[in-house]
Amino acid sequence: MLRNRVGRMAAGVLAGAMVTVGVAACGGDSTTATPAEGGSSAAAPTGAKVGLAYDIGGRGDQSFNDSAAAGLDKAKSELKLPDPRELTASPGETEAQKEERLRLLATSGYNPVVAVGFAYSGPVKKVAAEFPDVKFAIVDDAAATGPNISNLVFAEHEGSFLVGAAAALKSTKNNVGFVGGVQVPLIQKFEAGFAAGAKAVNKDITIQSKYLSQPPEFTGFNDPAKGKTVAEGMIDAGADVVYHAAGGSGSGVFEAAKAGKAQAIGVDADQALTADAAVKDVVMTSMLKKLDVAVYDFLKSFAAGTVKPGTTVYDLKVAGVDYSVTGGKVDDIKDKLEEYKQKIVSGEIKVPETTS
Amino acid sequence: MTATGLAARQPTGTAPAARGFKLTWPVVLLGVAGFLALLSLVRIVTGATDIASGGTVSAALSLAVPIGLAGLGGLWAERAGVVNIGLEGMMIFGTWFGAWGAIVTGNPWAGVVAGAVGGLLGGLLHAVATVTFGVDHIISGVAINILAMGVVQYLSKLVFAPMRGGGETQSPRIPGIDRISLPGIGEPLRQVESNGWFFVSDLAGVLRGLTQNVSLFTILAILLVPLSVFLLWRTAFGLRLRACGERPVAAESLGVNVYTYKYLAVVVSGALAGLGGAYLSIVAAGIYREGQTGGRGYIGLAAMIFGNWRPGGLAAGSTLFGYTDALQLRQGGTSVHALLLFVALILAAVAVYQLVKQQRVRAAVITAVSAAVVFTVFAVTDTVPEQFTSFTPHLTTLLVLALASQRLRPPAADGVRYRKGQAK
Repeated sequence: MLRNRVGRMAAGVLAGAMVTVGVAACGGDSTTATPAEGGSSAAAPTGAKVGLAYDIGGRGDQSFNDSAAAGLDKAKSELKLPDPRELTASPGETEAQKEERLRLLATSGYNPVVAVGFAYSGPVKKVAAEFPDVKFAIVDDAAATGPNISNLVFAEHEGSFLVGAAAALKSTKNNVGFVGGVQVPLIQKFEAGFAAGAKAVNKDITIQSKYLSQPPEFTGFNDPAKGKTVAEGMIDAGADVVYHAAGGSGSGVFEAAKAGKAQAIGVDADQALTADAAVKDVVMTSMLKKLDVAVYDFLKSFAAGTVKPGTTVYDLKVAGVDYSVTGGKVDDIKDKLEEYKQKIVSGEIKVPETTS
Repeated sequence: MTATGLAARQPTGTAPAARGFKLTWPVVLLGVAGFLALLSLVRIVTGATDIASGGTVSAALSLAVPIGLAGLGGLWAERAGVVNIGLEGMMIFGTWFGAWGAIVTGNPWAGVVAGAVGGLLGGLLHAVATVTFGVDHIISGVAINILAMGVVQYLSKLVFAPMRGGGETQSPRIPGIDRISLPGIGEPLRQVESNGWFFVSDLAGVLRGLTQNVSLFTILAILLVPLSVFLLWRTAFGLRLRACGERPVAAESLGVNVYTYKYLAVVVSGALAGLGGAYLSIVAAGIYREGQTGGRGYIGLAAMIFGNWRPGGLAAGSTLFGYTDALQLRQGGTSVHALLLFVALILAAVAVYQLVKQQRVRAAVITAVSAAVVFTVFAVTDTVPEQFTSFTPHLTTLLVLALASQRLRPPAADGVRYRKGQAK
């Protein structure tokens, strides 16, 4: 009887946890039909009706998704596109919900459809096959292939190499840290590049590395409290520059760097611009991942009718990844960083995509 | 008032009474000192300097507080017979309203109050559903979790998105709560800690973690544990409330308005979970971020079950969870590897105890074998891979539960639907 009750309760807890993860989307699967500001209705735009599906966070995350949104906005104003349709993923939703979102866009006459984030890999592959006349693009994934799928991927390891070198050049204690959001291959590319860059400057440097969560748990991208704890631990253990590739958890890394008198490196966007005024002075540089360029390029080639399926890599050569110089904190080492950049572009340095 | 018979069956006090001996202050202190000595030994053998450092202790504290507050919330509700799976949702309300209150007023304490009120509203909803309408407690709780996530997403779009530095999924930075330190001892303690002496340095580390740079909210949260003990176990109000969770029909026959007590308990439960959420956004993170609770409400519920529905036990459970989480987050591979040696030593000690004191030969052999296995793993590896370190807290908690073989005793009428006058 007693055992039964405890068991039932435990089952309840479990079921509760699972249901929230699974169904949570119902609560928030709201669609953001962003009423575009300044939509030039007078010109009666005739361009493509773009459908865009964001990853968790959506427009306004000041990072990954916002970067894609910037590309869309630029395309919209320059190519005179009609109002696009933008939908956002919810935390913990299933693949089926992502498929449904893409299908909704395709059936409502939106073409091309852009999916932002590797989480859309499976859904894009499946839905693209159902709509052969619609062009699909997916950011950050090369696994979903098809005659009407363009894969826009980035050489994050190359950009990370440069900020790794910057970290090593700036570290006075020969000790740097890397905080990853979730241990998935994509984020491991950041780590590998960062470590290679730091080692290129100083092969005896200590590199601390930690991921906030393990797949299939993706809370690591949204847990600033944990990001802060991890960065504090690294700083206590001697690190004086910490690089994060942890999305929303990054603000915790900045807090820790501020409190521990260390420096931090931002990711995706120029975080010396987007971070809060109270902590932005710790952001030494950021690894820029130019989703806006990729999304804009894709939409432009669609307008010109030159979309080609398959993988397009945005690497250092085409300035798809880069480091930021806002705040002037890396001005003194800029020459060295440019030198590394040239060597990577020319192929003299080959940056690894996986650790060890 | 024969209702006192109910309480008489349970030993009073904060700690769950163990079989055979009573937990008194000297015993507790001796136990803590023993643990610390063992930790110190492990630190010296393995060189994992972070396992009793001030930084680890302070991180453990801030990781344990949200879980502990959620657990305390669970305790209040379940002691009155209402299962509260909705803690996670009430915590989500707490994170959002806490951030909102602090940002719009510029005063973090207003955020603390707002977070508590946000959680309280979630609790009120749960009370209306389960007490007034007799909805199944699990269903109402799960519904609240789903609802909370949707509501805060909506509110964020409405409130945070137009703010400077905010967005649809996050708030601007939240003004912090003052942190205080016991003056004059910070630097000496750091000196002693850095010398690496046996025991003394570790003691200094723990003291530094507990006395330096502690948020006032943390102190408030810790004080809520003895306050709950006092209210629930030392007052007539608490006795009646617990009677509603043990045998509501009997309480009713003695003139207790069971509905009122259940309402109160669930509302307080929601407020406590809301406080846990507010702590997370205001103190631990300094920002509201969608989904930042990351299941801490469920962990809090588990900590409460771990603590056998008692405040002292749940405080111990959340501390254990917070400590192991701090270890794995700060110096994952090294610290968790050192923890293996610690576990092996503890298991060996338990085996000796089982053999000598309890004469349970078979149990002692099993424990000794597991100690040997853990030690072998420790001896043949240099570090623990990242994939394993991240679930150290969950595994440790499970192991302690399994080894302690305690008899969990939930309130007798926990989760049972109660209707006024049903005894007739």
